[in-house]
Amino acid sequence: MAIETASLGDAAGGELGTGSAPAAADAFVPVQDADSALVALARGGDKRAFDMLVIKYQRRIERLLGRMVRDTDSIQDITQEAFIRAWRAIGNFRGDAQFYTWLYRIAVNSAKKHLMDLKRNPVINESSLRSVHDEDDETSYADHPLNNQRATSETPETAYAAKEIAQAVNAAMDALPEELRQAITLREIEGLSYEEISTMMDCPIGTVRSRIFRAREAISARIKPMLDKQTAKRW
Amino acid sequence: MDRVISKSSLSGETMDELVMNQTVVNFEALSALADGELGAPETATVVQATAQDASLRAAWQHYHLIGDVLRSSVRDTRAALPAVALASLSAQSVGLSAGLSVAMAQPEAANDSVWRWKLVAGFAAVAAVGSIVWSLAGSGLTGIGAGPVVARSTQPNAAVVSADISTGQPTEQVMIRDPRLDELLAAHKQFGGASALQPAGFLRNATFQTPQR
Repeated sequence: MAIETASLGDAAGGELGTGSAPAAADAFVPVQDADSALVALARGGDKRAFDMLVIKYQRRIERLLGRMVRDTDSIQDITQEAFIRAWRAIGNFRGDAQFYTWLYRIAVNSAKKHLMDLKRNPVINESSLRSVHDEDDETSYADHPLNNQRATSETPETAYAAKEIAQAVNAAMDALPEELRQAITLREIEGLSYEEISTMMDCPIGTVRSRIFRAREAISARIKPMLDKQTAKRW
Repeated sequence: MDRVISKSSLSGETMDELVMNQTVVNFEALSALADGELGAPETATVVQATAQDASLRAAWQHYHLIGDVLRSSVRDTRAALPAVALASLSAQSVGLSAGLSVAMAQPEAANDSVWRWKLVAGFAAVAAVGSIVWSLAGSGLTGIGAGPVVARSTQPNAAVVSADISTGQPTEQVMIRDPRLDELLAAHKQFGGASALQPAGFLRNATFQTPQR
């Protein structure tokens, strides 16, 4: 995929560079971000760390783009393009914002560029041009894992599968022992750190880590068969 | 890492245990990494292990998926709730918010968004009833206790026995009308016919209760 680096000047608030490989910045002061360890490795050129970030954010970016671009193939192309741009520019990521915020801007600008290209093209799908300018809110509805109905790739089957998985997750949560449920709730829903959770639950941080892991494993075991069965990539 | 342990140096059973333990350690470290709670040295190790192990990559994906679903469940639930309920919910314990994520799985009613209008309609109904009661009380029709009494005259210059409207029972109340006033009204026939002799708003009258017999 050809990337026009010259057009990326404003893609991420001026943070994108023109190099083809990430280069470590001089002063990297990350904000409090769960991704900071992986980002630091990626900035050092560790592609495996960046791959983990891709796995983490791919669905989210696809959902975001699904609200802007109606064509499924285009969504996947733009997602790929956004991650390539991010990889090339991560050396310029200063860490003064969260990694996802930075990635979000790159993805949105990639989508806008794609739609502008479509606009110049006489063979154009008008519907794909709708609501381009309404997508600048990064806490928008698009972040909902189940709210991608506006994307053309959404089918009743995938919507049903999404609902089924959500119900399985919630049922698995109910079945958890109290201390595991409380630990993962405090982490995932309340967003507390391990230290804060250990204070609240009056137990060592290692115990918190273990409880959250066991809770995740229990839920994961419940949804794994569904995910294996689920063939649709975007659910 | 589990994959670099030499089999020749260990018995089969011990090797299996070590591999299993190391695998668990890796998964737990991966879980901590997902939360941003892993130190730099451990992070590098886990990243390397994940790159080599498909099950770790799948787990990485599942952990984030679970978090997304849990958070979106709570967000949906909160979006569907009225502000009043939301305020009380925020004061509840953490355990309750976990239960809420299950509750949100219920289908949302189509008219949930119009609850404010229901509230307004309720207030309007209460206000209407209140104003009716107030106006009735003001006009003296409530008849509670020593309420006003409507008198009815049967004869000029005579005492009249009136009935208490609130009870419907004849009472011993007698209204005394000034006979000179009746004469005056009859002479001038201000109200025409017999109506001139009926009690009117501007007439001065008085009631009193006769002693019980």
